[in-house]
Amino acid sequence: MSMSSDETDVVLTLRERIAANPRPALIWVAGLALLILLELGRIVGWILAAGGAVRMVIGAIPSVPWWVADNVADGLSGVSGGLSQVGGAIGFSVTAALVLIAGAFLVKSLFVPFSVSKKIGLDARQIGPDALSEHLLERLVIAAGLGVGAALILVTPVGGAVDAAVASLTNALEWVANGWTLSDRELISNEGHRSPDGGWEGTFLGLSPAIAWSIRVIVIYAYAFAALVWLWKGYTTYREHYREADWTPRDDWINRFRTHYWGIFGLIVVFGFVVLALWAPALGAANAEANLYSPYQNEFEYLTDDGQVESVAHGTANIQSRSQGGDSTVGIMSYDEYDRWAPLGTNPDGKDLFTFLAFGARTSLMIGLIGIGIATSIALMMSLITSYYKGTIDIATIVVSDTIISVPVFLMVLLLSVVFQQGNHPLADIYSGGLLLALIFGALYWPGLWRAIRGPSLQVAEQEWVDAAKSYGQTPMITMRKHMAPYILSYILIYASLLLGGVIITTAALSFLGLGINPPTPEWGRMVSDGRSYVSTSSWHIATVPGILIVLVVTGFNALGDGIRDAMDPESESGDAGATAAATGGGG
Amino acid sequence: MSRWRYFFQRVLLSIPILFLVMTVIFVILRMGPLDPVAAMLGPEASGVQAAEIRENMGLNEPLWRQYIDYMFNLVTFNFGQSYVIQSGRSVNTLIAIYAPRTIWLGFWAVLLPLFIGIPLGFYAGLNPNSWGDYIASFSGIVWLAMPNFWLAIMLLAVLRRTQGGGFLGFDWYTIGPEVRSLIGTPPLDFIGFEEWQSLGMVPMPSGFYFDGGTLAVAIKVILPAAVVLGSASMASELRIGRTAILETINSNYVETAKAKGLSGRVILWKHVFRNALIPLVPIITNEALLLLGGSVIVEVIFGINGLGRLFFFSATQGDLPLAGALIFIFTLITISLNILQDFLYTILDPRVGYEQ
Repeated sequence: MSMSSDETDVVLTLRERIAANPRPALIWVAGLALLILLELGRIVGWILAAGGAVRMVIGAIPSVPWWVADNVADGLSGVSGGLSQVGGAIGFSVTAALVLIAGAFLVKSLFVPFSVSKKIGLDARQIGPDALSEHLLERLVIAAGLGVGAALILVTPVGGAVDAAVASLTNALEWVANGWTLSDRELISNEGHRSPDGGWEGTFLGLSPAIAWSIRVIVIYAYAFAALVWLWKGYTTYREHYREADWTPRDDWINRFRTHYWGIFGLIVVFGFVVLALWAPALGAANAEANLYSPYQNEFEYLTDDGQVESVAHGTANIQSRSQGGDSTVGIMSYDEYDRWAPLGTNPDGKDLFTFLAFGARTSLMIGLIGIGIATSIALMMSLITSYYKGTIDIATIVVSDTIISVPVFLMVLLLSVVFQQGNHPLADIYSGGLLLALIFGALYWPGLWRAIRGPSLQVAEQEWVDAAKSYGQTPMITMRKHMAPYILSYILIYASLLLGGVIITTAALSFLGLGINPPTPEWGRMVSDGRSYVSTSSWHIATVPGILIVLVVTGFNALGDGIRDAMDPESESGDAGATAAATGGGG
Repeated sequence: MSRWRYFFQRVLLSIPILFLVMTVIFVILRMGPLDPVAAMLGPEASGVQAAEIRENMGLNEPLWRQYIDYMFNLVTFNFGQSYVIQSGRSVNTLIAIYAPRTIWLGFWAVLLPLFIGIPLGFYAGLNPNSWGDYIASFSGIVWLAMPNFWLAIMLLAVLRRTQGGGFLGFDWYTIGPEVRSLIGTPPLDFIGFEEWQSLGMVPMPSGFYFDGGTLAVAIKVILPAAVVLGSASMASELRIGRTAILETINSNYVETAKAKGLSGRVILWKHVFRNALIPLVPIITNEALLLLGGSVIVEVIFGINGLGRLFFFSATQGDLPLAGALIFIFTLITISLNILQDFLYTILDPRVGYEQ
């Protein structure tokens, strides 16, 4: 039995169930459409950004075989020229084949619900030896297809056509993204100037910038909260009207989590942090591009002391609004000399601290999600494989993970980020070194995760249903994916949440030392470092506020992890999690 | 499997691990994107000096040759010399100078949490759900989430404000032994040997001196840094201590002891505390490991010339051979501490190894 037909069954029955009783689903979809429509511009903007990242990754993959070939050739060039060329060619082919096969596995499991090899009339039993199973053949066929596609795009004019198609799609989306959105800075604008008669010009309804900005913040958080509630309603609608089972273990988890106030506190903090990161451009009191990145290319208007409205470059105005202790400080909840509203004051360069911190939240969240995402995927894959097969591969993974664990993480991150950045490696340029940092975290944190869930995953592998699936003739891949992964994944989530706090602290600590994330990309640790000499002056807010934010967010992630753990497994000991939490605090 | 066999298996397993770590360091430093000579002399490293360093470090050899040399040098603790930080001095000399300060810092950073975190945790566990428990647990959680670097600069700012009797009502500079600066390397020459006598072939110290005043200064200078470095440990010791007490106090053997009519004090000291300490053993050794990473940032902020600060400057200023040697030493310490932890476990908890 192939699992793909199995999955189609499930999808069809859900469709049928919705067709039988469409009303709740339609109401929910209508609500969702309304919510999306309200923020259409921003949501399309996110899709564009995600698409750009995917495009970059796909664009980078074809260069991997060449890179390997170059390195092999370099390594062998000392021995003999001919050997180096042959080695390079072998390196190229092996890597290209590996990349294609890995891609084939991904494509098959994500996009191809039917058997391609059967469609084109290939049968494993007829053409190959016994070792060539149906599954392998299927993947090999897809890999060959991918290879032909890649060659077409890279070598022939087809590539240009694909590029043009993608570009026109991107343009269309960009047009939408620049259109209507509820959280538009211009819609509820706090950027205006005093008018000579005492009011405000250019702000939302002529309100003072402080009030206009507060309204915008409230609107955005209300919208995000409504979206969250609606997604939750979607789940409950599914549970009440369309789910076949009356009860699943997940219902119990949710019920336990609902009475876990510490976990709910964590959820609220994490929600606030994520919204701050996602809506950073709209939440900032100042326009980030004008205020932070290119202050001398952008001007704004203000009312001079003699009642004239004049315009001045942000950069020039920033010099007058610097917070450097003593009299020259723009503190929390105050206006600067040019009547610009600074909710959290300004930094030593006179830039708006709140805007900086909002974009810094974005940096931290991106690095945390990518890094922990990589670490979690590796740990999940390894724990599936090691707990299913045990034996040699288990021992080998123990040795490798112990190796990585026994090098102090912070020292290794520091050394790697120095080596890559001073070596001018191209990876270090992407996202001001953020991607590099995320990759390093992914590589260094998976062994800890794998170790933390080794016990539970060994237990899962011993369960009767796994035995049943094996004796029923299920392939290892499907047994692992359908019968083991869901349980192991929920355990990983606990530790991932705890580690995310650790990643945030370590990134901040590195930026504090002047490494990791390079200016101008905002990072909380850099602001603590910038403000450290003013802590005991009137400009105390510069270093204090980002520090409090870090404490709050890390506590939030720890609390959320605790909540998930207690919800999933109320009898678990808090001992292990405590040790992991300690690991999060230790780096910085 | 007997527990001693399990222990020796763990020890044996650390050999391939150490070997892999050395290989990883070699790959990063010699095959990574940063050329070690370019790191020292700038991107356009050329000329006589560059050629000399290349020759000296063996960079002109083929890669496999370099690998064997590198591994051999690490295993025999022959780390070569520093090129940038203190040009020409051997790495071993540098470590001998810098290590005592880090050990002094680490000693206090382990000791302080032990005497604050565990008693607080035990107190919270003995009085569960009281206000004292809530305050202790909550501050433990917040304390845990606090980044060391931020805590350090906040603590320094507060202590600086106390100069001349600030708002806290005491002057940290003059309380106890007087210090002029909050940051700096603690003076560790409070104890030493004055005379050496030869006893046959073996030199023996025959007289030593001890200076209480310098010792007091050394402790006072290290205290703020140790509090910061030990903060995470303090919080997790509090948490684990609380749980351990709660679990022990509800266990059957404590019930039995009560039924036997033992006095509360005997139950507490003989039955509760002793068993509650077992889960704390790995926590304490784990913390010693965390201190290794944390020492970098604390030593940089507090200006303590220890191994952490040495590592930071060697890495950022391109003294890669020194940085590689330091990482190797830190890893060696980590592995030894892990073995020590297994050893303690083997002695303390007879159940270890049976479930494997």
